[in-house]
Amino acid sequence: MAVVLTNEHRMIQTVVREFAARELLPIAADLDQHSRFPGEALAKAATLGLMGLMVPEAYGGAGMDTIANVIVQEELARACAGFQTIVTVNNSLVCEPILRYGTEDQKRRYLPDLAQGRRLGCYCLTEPTSGSDAMALRTTATQRGSEWIVSGTKIFVTNGVEADLCVVYARSEDAPGARGISAFLVEKAFPGVRVGKVEKKLGIKCSSTAELVFDGCRVPGGNLLGRRGEGGKIALAALDGGRIGIAAQALGIARACLEEVTAYVQQRQQFGRPIAEFQAVRWALADMATRLEAARLLTHRAAALRAAEQPCTKEAAMAKLAASETAMWAAHKAVQLFGGYGYIQDYPVERYFRDAKITEIYEGTSEIQRLVISRHLVDHH
Amino acid sequence: MDIIVCVKQVVDPELPLRDFAIDPVTRRQVREGRPLVISTYDENALEVALQIKDRSGAKVTVLTIGPQARVGDAIRLALAMGADDAVVIDESKSPDLLGADKARILAAAVRRIGRYDLVLCGCESADWVERAVAPLLAEMLGASCVTFVSRAETAGGTLVVRRTADDGFHELDVRLPAVLSVTSDDANRPRLPKVKDIVGAKRKPVQTWARADLAVESGSHEASGVEVREVVVPQRTAKCELLPGDPAEQVAALGQRLRDLKLL
Repeated sequence: MAVVLTNEHRMIQTVVREFAARELLPIAADLDQHSRFPGEALAKAATLGLMGLMVPEAYGGAGMDTIANVIVQEELARACAGFQTIVTVNNSLVCEPILRYGTEDQKRRYLPDLAQGRRLGCYCLTEPTSGSDAMALRTTATQRGSEWIVSGTKIFVTNGVEADLCVVYARSEDAPGARGISAFLVEKAFPGVRVGKVEKKLGIKCSSTAELVFDGCRVPGGNLLGRRGEGGKIALAALDGGRIGIAAQALGIARACLEEVTAYVQQRQQFGRPIAEFQAVRWALADMATRLEAARLLTHRAAALRAAEQPCTKEAAMAKLAASETAMWAAHKAVQLFGGYGYIQDYPVERYFRDAKITEIYEGTSEIQRLVISRHLVDHH
Repeated sequence: MDIIVCVKQVVDPELPLRDFAIDPVTRRQVREGRPLVISTYDENALEVALQIKDRSGAKVTVLTIGPQARVGDAIRLALAMGADDAVVIDESKSPDLLGADKARILAAAVRRIGRYDLVLCGCESADWVERAVAPLLAEMLGASCVTFVSRAETAGGTLVVRRTADDGFHELDVRLPAVLSVTSDDANRPRLPKVKDIVGAKRKPVQTWARADLAVESGSHEASGVEVREVVVPQRTAKCELLPGDPAEQVAALGQRLRDLKLL
């Protein structure tokens, strides 16, 4: 599927690039060093419509497609990967499932607030004993009258500290694996929800990663998202979109590496000339640019398929795999080309190096992406 | 209040120097293949207009001269930022025209639009930096003119503007109709459009008029009093000079050198 950016897409790209230059680039290093949540910049992003990009205008969103989303996510991550993490989770893992599986009442109750930055969302799937094997989750949901009682512990929840609304996956049926799981919209203010351990991380430090404990939490029946037993499907479908968002994040980090390195090697002099004149350096730049462009094409193709409501599980996995490994590789190259200056905090590449690693881990590790892709090659044919 | 904002598309001034070229025949900047953006101060002018609209209500019309095929993005951005409608004067030779010719076309267009209280222009274009259009336009329209305006607001039926001056600023009451040239200021930093407004901009009305359809007063480059003979890209050279002596002597010598070079 060919991806053609419309004038609208290009204009959104220009505007978000300017937003990132004004609001994110000047604070990105400080946010990282102090693990500070970027509340003010998020409010400005929400004003532009970046918190509910794919939410239709009728529900208070910007009404754009998945392609616009990846363009926006790349621009945000180019400036600050941690900030982008907060935004992409709200868009892909919270707004999108509500939009696709929510009732009209749920959409009206939650989407306008999420899209306009009055509430922040988080996605609660991973548990201490279920990471890659997500469908082995143990959190329970028991029906009692018109309510559900949710009990269990979720970990590594992005936005866990600040989020107001949690999409929680819990075992509601007496069935193993995905078939026994349902999804619930749990407000943080419901009795029985508390924030547990807040993690200290290698990168994306301005976003919070927390444990959320659900201790006999009472959830109204009207907050079941989708049908009973449909939660596994919802979780995985959300991850298709989520992975495209993480692929876009990885593109942004890889581009940041390429742009910083390209500027640096032209001004850094060694042996009486700019190091850009050495062939080894030029080849590294060429490889970075080529891998970045290849990963971007995969990401845009996956986004175009999703925008066209076509299956994209394999393509999203390929995009995430290629883009995240490109980001990590490009960050590794960037630090090396900066030499000693790449290892200290005076230049941003050491931050890119730390930020890049998470893209190979969350929303499915690279190994899980390979598993997903290989299933389409072997098991489906 | 009816406000007309004149915007010009220029080659993106942020482009690297290697993308800057002069056409030896037309003696104009090469635009083909280069991204075009709204000239910097024109965005400030639009922001001033939109602030008046936000505070006290106004209809904001964007007016531009250009080859119709290439002005779409500038118009779209202006409409997304909050302008109500746009008028495009389709003129394929517009990049070749200088200030006086532009002012004549703009004056004819403003007369055809009819109702207006204010016309806002950037104080200078990012490419030619003539600073000519706003004063000439005011003269042609018989309107008041204030240059280098940073802020403007309506108060009790009058327009109060702040004009940047060497010794600070002047605050002026302005008789309408008026033409203002706008400079940049913390208070008029161009807003970023919302994503939904970028989408919505295509639903706003855009009229296209051929230059031939306008009653433009006759004029030529000669009549403008300006003919471009040559355009030269300055060659940047760097030279290192070591000043001898102890620090006190070096400072004195440096001061003298800078005075000799008329830099102090």
